[in-house]
Amino acid sequence: MSILLDGLVQGLQLALLSVGVVFVYGLGGVLNLAHGQVAVSGGLVAALLMQNRLPPVLACVAGILFAGLVALLLDQTLLRQAYARRGEERLLLGIILTLGLSFALDGFFTWRYPNVALTLQLGSPYVRMGGLTVRTGSLAVAALALTAFLLLLGFLKTTFLGKAVRCIIQNEVGAWLCGVNVHRARTLTVVLSGLLAGVAAVAQGFFSYLGPEMGTEFTILALIVAVVGGVRSLTGTFLASLMLGLVNAALSYTVGTYITWIVLLAVAASTLLIRPEGLLAYWP
Amino acid sequence: MLEVRNLWAGYNGITVLRDITLEVPGRSATAVLGPNGAGKTTLFRAIAGLVRPQRGRVVFEGSPIHGLPPHEIARRGLVYVPAERELFPQLTVLENLELGAYSSPGDLRSRLRRVFDLFPRLAERRGQRAGTLSGGEQQMLAIARALMGRPRLILLDEPSTGLAPRLVAELYRQLAALQEEGVTILLAEQQVRAALGLCERVYVLRDGRMVFQGSASELWGRPELRRAYLGELRRVEPVGEARDGR
Repeated sequence: MSILLDGLVQGLQLALLSVGVVFVYGLGGVLNLAHGQVAVSGGLVAALLMQNRLPPVLACVAGILFAGLVALLLDQTLLRQAYARRGEERLLLGIILTLGLSFALDGFFTWRYPNVALTLQLGSPYVRMGGLTVRTGSLAVAALALTAFLLLLGFLKTTFLGKAVRCIIQNEVGAWLCGVNVHRARTLTVVLSGLLAGVAAVAQGFFSYLGPEMGTEFTILALIVAVVGGVRSLTGTFLASLMLGLVNAALSYTVGTYITWIVLLAVAASTLLIRPEGLLAYWP
Repeated sequence: MLEVRNLWAGYNGITVLRDITLEVPGRSATAVLGPNGAGKTTLFRAIAGLVRPQRGRVVFEGSPIHGLPPHEIARRGLVYVPAERELFPQLTVLENLELGAYSSPGDLRSRLRRVFDLFPRLAERRGQRAGTLSGGEQQMLAIARALMGRPRLILLDEPSTGLAPRLVAELYRQLAALQEEGVTILLAEQQVRAALGLCERVYVLRDGRMVFQGSASELWGRPELRRAYLGELRRVEPVGEARDGR
């Protein structure tokens, strides 16, 4: 039962991570392979600030904002080059540029901060809820992730800019014709995805720890979710995250992480074979 | 209101439009006619900013707009309705209309009332997703969405495409009502008769060049143009037409 709960919470964290990849792909046609490193950069900043005796809450907020800033820089420098091109050329250039950046950042993090890790502990590691023993960290992650999602949904559903973002995913030309500045909306989306990645990194700190080498793992997990959930579907991303979180937790517990990875990749591959557009092709 | 001077435009280094000059006076209705592939759509896309002109000028209400991004041009009151309609298929009719007002928010309610008066069918279908509408309804929605942005000039590319003849007549009645309200119209059409019923000024485009400009009645008096470039005209317009002389 607690494995089930852990899996669901991991799924929520996975969703935080994957929404960014899905969003940037849906709006810009670029697959951001440095997304995991953006998350790690935020987590490391939080960890460094905590080493310097900043209160954990402030350090985490600063880390999340830093991840957003890294995403903004990425948008204004590398992604801008990709956006200047169209179709396949844009996708390929985006992959090469962000893959290069991910190697560079991975190298930098493990060289410069090999022993920095973000771990967040709450007063007591476990609480009892209705006869169940639950990790407090899991509760914190669930609260964090749900808050982030509510904010995101609120932004998308109620603000005019949020509506613009939704409409670009459906029809870029139509959005231009309605007077939407597609370039600015894209930048905003990349920054949002960076902020959510930062939240995911903080969540990782609550689970166990976030280390400098975890960027690639994050990116691959996000890609698997995007494939299973459908690269243009937010609801699909959410469902796929929860599902893969459950699979991940159950398998890690029974057969170990190595086989879990193989199973996760197999799920992604079979999704591509059976339902290439993902579980849900569009989001409402 | 709109002036196009010596415009050259195309895609990926290939030139489609050569030296196009055209003028649209305020509150008028102007038609661009010509066979498929003549460059009508490229002309409209270049005016709307979706294609960057290679040479030449586009001036709207006294200020140059060539080279501006499309959203800037839409914000200035020049709205383009492409033949593909470019709706948001998963959003409702109402949401599509709201997004049409994106560039100039405010008094949504009165604008909605106005487009629903013009297209009562859309009011009935307001909660329905745009992708589930019929072709004619989608065309109405595309025009209504453009009107939500309070345009002073509306560019309509093949508005009658895919519409039954009865609906084409209805659509053109509504366009006439729009013009009456003070909206300037520039449209490209293959349905020559319908277009000439509305538009007093006519341009004929062929192979990327302007081959005729003048009034609708002048065009009727040039049988060689009609036969060569508007082949469809004879079929649409029965032989009994008075000016035809037959």
